[in-house]
Amino acid sequence: MRFRRPVIAVTAVGMLALAACGGSGEPADDNGRAKGVDAEKLADTGTGMDAEREGPVKIDGATEGGTVTVLSYAGLNSMDPTEAYYQSTLSILSGLVTRSLTQFAYDEESGEMTLVPDLATDLGTPNEDYTEWEFTIRDGVKWENGDEVTAEDVRYGILRSFDRASFLEGANYSNAYFLDGDEYKGPYKSGKDYAGVEVDGDTLTLKMARPFPDMPYWGSFPAMGPIPEGEDEPEEYRLHPWSTGPYMFEDYNPEKSLTLVRNPHWDPNTDPSRTQYPEQYVFDFQTDSTKIDQILLKDQGEAQTTMTYDNVLAANFRTFQDEHADRLVLGGSPLTTYWAPDYRKVTDKRVRQALAWAYPYRDAALAAGYVEGVTRIWGTNLLPPGMPGRTEYNPLPGHEPGSTDTAKARELLEEADAVGYEIKWLFQNDDPNTVKATDIVVRSLEEAGFEASPVATTIANFSTDREDPDNDDINVRSGGWLSDWPSGGSWFPPVFQSTDLEEEGLGSNYAVFSEPEVDQRIEEISMLPIEEQPAAWNELDEFIATEYFPLFVLGYGGVAMAHGSKIEGFEVDTAAGMPTWKGIWVEQ
Amino acid sequence: MSTTADLEGLASRDAVGQVIAGRSPTRIALRRLRSDKVAVVSSGTVLLLVVLALLAPLITSVLGIHATTTDPDAPLPSEVLSYDGFPAVGPPYYPFTWEHPLGLAPQTGVDNLARLLYGLRTSLAVATAATVLSTLIGVSVGLVAGFARGWLDRLISFCIDLFLSFPFILGALALAPIVVSRFSTDLEALARAQVLALVAVLVVFGWMGLARLIRGQVFSLREREFVQAAHVLGLPTRHILFKELLPNLVAPIVVAVSLTLPAYVAAEAGLSYLGIGLTGVPSLGQTINDAVPSFEKYPLYLWAPVVTVMVLVLALNLLGDAVRDAFDPRTRR
Amino acid sequence: MAGFIVRRLLSSFLVVVLTSMFVFALFFLGPSNPAGPVCEAQGRCTAERLELIEQQMGLDESVVTQYGAFVGGLFRDRTITMGSEYTCEAPCLGISYGTRGEVRKELMEKYPATLSVALGGAAIYVVLGVTLGVLAARRRGTATDRLLVGGSLVVSSIPYYLFALLAWILLTLQWDLFPATGYTPLTESPSAWAAGLLLPWLVLGITGSTQYARFTRGSMVDTLGEDYIRTATAKGVRSSRVLFRHGLRAAIVPIVTIFGLDFATLLAGTVFTEQIFDIDGIGSWALDAVKAPQDFPVILATVLVSAVLIVVANLVVDVVYGLLDPRVRVS
Repeated sequence: MRFRRPVIAVTAVGMLALAACGGSGEPADDNGRAKGVDAEKLADTGTGMDAEREGPVKIDGATEGGTVTVLSYAGLNSMDPTEAYYQSTLSILSGLVTRSLTQFAYDEESGEMTLVPDLATDLGTPNEDYTEWEFTIRDGVKWENGDEVTAEDVRYGILRSFDRASFLEGANYSNAYFLDGDEYKGPYKSGKDYAGVEVDGDTLTLKMARPFPDMPYWGSFPAMGPIPEGEDEPEEYRLHPWSTGPYMFEDYNPEKSLTLVRNPHWDPNTDPSRTQYPEQYVFDFQTDSTKIDQILLKDQGEAQTTMTYDNVLAANFRTFQDEHADRLVLGGSPLTTYWAPDYRKVTDKRVRQALAWAYPYRDAALAAGYVEGVTRIWGTNLLPPGMPGRTEYNPLPGHEPGSTDTAKARELLEEADAVGYEIKWLFQNDDPNTVKATDIVVRSLEEAGFEASPVATTIANFSTDREDPDNDDINVRSGGWLSDWPSGGSWFPPVFQSTDLEEEGLGSNYAVFSEPEVDQRIEEISMLPIEEQPAAWNELDEFIATEYFPLFVLGYGGVAMAHGSKIEGFEVDTAAGMPTWKGIWVEQ
Repeated sequence: MSTTADLEGLASRDAVGQVIAGRSPTRIALRRLRSDKVAVVSSGTVLLLVVLALLAPLITSVLGIHATTTDPDAPLPSEVLSYDGFPAVGPPYYPFTWEHPLGLAPQTGVDNLARLLYGLRTSLAVATAATVLSTLIGVSVGLVAGFARGWLDRLISFCIDLFLSFPFILGALALAPIVVSRFSTDLEALARAQVLALVAVLVVFGWMGLARLIRGQVFSLREREFVQAAHVLGLPTRHILFKELLPNLVAPIVVAVSLTLPAYVAAEAGLSYLGIGLTGVPSLGQTINDAVPSFEKYPLYLWAPVVTVMVLVLALNLLGDAVRDAFDPRTRR
Repeated sequence: MAGFIVRRLLSSFLVVVLTSMFVFALFFLGPSNPAGPVCEAQGRCTAERLELIEQQMGLDESVVTQYGAFVGGLFRDRTITMGSEYTCEAPCLGISYGTRGEVRKELMEKYPATLSVALGGAAIYVVLGVTLGVLAARRRGTATDRLLVGGSLVVSSIPYYLFALLAWILLTLQWDLFPATGYTPLTESPSAWAAGLLLPWLVLGITGSTQYARFTRGSMVDTLGEDYIRTATAKGVRSSRVLFRHGLRAAIVPIVTIFGLDFATLLAGTVFTEQIFDIDGIGSWALDAVKAPQDFPVILATVLVSAVLIVVANLVVDVVYGLLDPRVRVS
């Protein structure tokens, strides 16, 4: 999934601290690691599944009522369930508003996320080779206007998820796996006659073009939920998607505010994971980060029922940790940020490796407002720590992840006869943190013998400039990726599979990487039995890095969010790096 | 234009029996300024700040401090900062150190004193350039408008109104992304372009005040006898403009300059706060902006640039006031 | 007099028209493409999508045609295409790229906030400024006078945005002396309305009062030095009557002149005040519209509002000046 806006490398993000850095008074547990963020298990979103779980959910001691104010400095991308593909939008929709085939539930004991049924009665029944899935839609689920939700509605929603033209930002798993997914273009363009999704009474049969063992995970996306046919004009629907969950849209002003109120037609008996304790949620996207932190630090009046899903600023982190640790929520998110040289332009592997030696990981992280140990955890694998089957490897022998050695970089450049090689990358000129980090990167690269030419752009234009495959001004792109679910299947295809540059542009393959052998391997691994996949993905991770070295990891990330004293049940949903909306209630 | 002060001067000299020469209003004003304590202190302050700004490179290299991280000799952030970006030496968490008297900046680890000096340099340079240009333009336009009659004057007044009605901040903000996209690939050119764009914006939206003022002054002056005499004598317009009118306009021009300069310093800082600051060079506005999030934990980081801006603007304003009083024949001392 | 007014009206109208053309030129002939932000808003922008949107928005037509469409929209209802179709009722100021709502409607919604700030602030700075000026003039030469003049000088030396920022940081955040700032509609809750705007009013009032204080004081000191005042005092007229009847009246003219333009600027929306104090008014709206992604219809609307207000203020001031000061009428 996509990292929340504006974009990765910068934004005012503050994180946790790593005790190993020395200095005084760092918060640490016995292992010398920062409390609350287990760097080993960042991406361990848990592979737990519970097909039997049933509603209703009761939280001991929870009280009804209250308004939760949610502050964030940035607005939300598309809130159309079919198109939502960012941490924030996915989390808010599936936690509070829209129901899908399956959903994630927070497990208090382990702190992990468990996959449980949602609109389906279980987690789906596959055939032998995972090319066909059956889901039975349960009864008693209603829309926000009181109408029954039918299997036809769910079918229509799934059909809509094929339309890449109308929903540019949305995930393309339907197209990638379903029968004729590359040809069917959704109901607006290809009509409703589509063999890949069949309805018989309450049962949906989904047909795949190739094995898709991860279908239950894809089923948790809002895109795999019902859509009311005839009321789903995209321009309007993204401003008011119909609710099947405990809360519905009352008022939405993109970039400004969103008010969610109780949906009277939501029946907790039909929902294995959600709750409806607070009266309403009021989102405000216009407060800047300093103010958000101040409001939460003071914890006065309305601030006590306020929360944020932004990370606290580095400047305030220490204060939160030392004085308000009970209102600071630390946890993991399966995020990897990396630098991806343009594979078509930076063709010498040694130059790419030299870049990895020369990049000033620590200094750039500090300059940009990250903190070692939480938002920046070093590593080399594309898959973050905690992904099933992950074992560490090092494609650059002798290189300690997070360290910089400009002399070694220069050696490599000399060997490749590329001293003075020009590196051009984008940075947001109107974001002070990015500017600071860029200065540091320039200095380090030049020390190593590169010619560093960062290209200025603005926060608003960054994505477009980066995603243009024909942008001649740059030859390196910075990128980041979050797991859609705990499997390499939601990493390698988007990040490394060749894309049709004409048709779809880069997609999320920022390295513009294209090796037929890798494409083939990805295909092969997707077809393997589910138990064999984790190890195979890890092997592929190591293979790509050692053989081709197309990109290098800047760091993995976790989260440090905060809330007022009357907000209860706020834990970290490690599948998204967002709050566990489903368990939140207000102390009365 | 004679005043009791002049006569007093004449009289006293007379008594000693020396040859008296008439003093121009400017000379009189300067004399009065010299004896005005406030003027002396404030001009001293301004001079001090200007000298500091000019000598910034020298001072920083002597003290061994750095204003930016791009300097290869400057320490790297990881060498001087703690895990959360706060300095590992000096305030706010460690005791004062003479090596960095104003402390280090979070996130980058640069020396605050160095950054202050260079920021002052930028602010003064931009403000001075903008003041000089807008004064030249304002005076020229005002002279022409005041002296010419009829359609030319009306046209110029119309232009003044036109520029006055356009919101300056929006103009500045609209220009910024255009500048960035034009110079995106050459950062040095971008830094220069940003400074020029800022000066341009300040000038384009700042010349009108002086133009109006001069126009009004010229209106009243041209009815005076000495101008009409020159006209009757057949002296060319250019002569009248430069030799008769201009000397009498020195006072309002000097006063206007003394007020415009601090206004521009303040404007530059303000634009920085709104996000259209200069990114390639250190600036006071940028520093203030950076310091706001950590004001509680690290107040020195915020107060140093704030106080500097305040002192600079205050000194310039006081000086301007004193200059105005010195030129005004009606104020008594 | 009538001829003068007509001429001024004409030139004011021309100013507004030219300003609107200038904004059009800036955006359509400048390097930034207005279709960009619209395309962005719908997700990843491809070249064909961009072209399609440009066509829909009529950007492939000449600037003149587009300007014509805009002007036409002021009198007739318009249908604007930006991905989808939107109706825009006359007078139509366009459809916002960001929210897809009618710009005129949003303008009306945000206006009360700016108006509230402007009225409160202006009331305070005029009253405070004139009062302090009179006080200082009355006691000129004394410690009070010097204190007031000095204080006013110091306050006017602090850049406005710094004053506002520091006030917010110290008074609201750190010392908690004022409630959180922001705008609540008067109709919703008068007490919340006043509480949220109290600090911005005071900040505006104090910083704005300095020039009125100086002007009033200066003007009164001048007047008080005139012969006719001496005569009045000699005749036994009470000093306060002298002060107010004669002194203040002379000061009114320049004060009115400054006030006109000042108030118009406030009404056009002060960006700094609204940004720092979190007020959702025209100023913030304009600022957001100009920052990338640029929302051209909103920018056009706010610039026009500002232009119209300033031009009207100038006109009113000129007329009032002419009414108050017979010498001007004659010239």
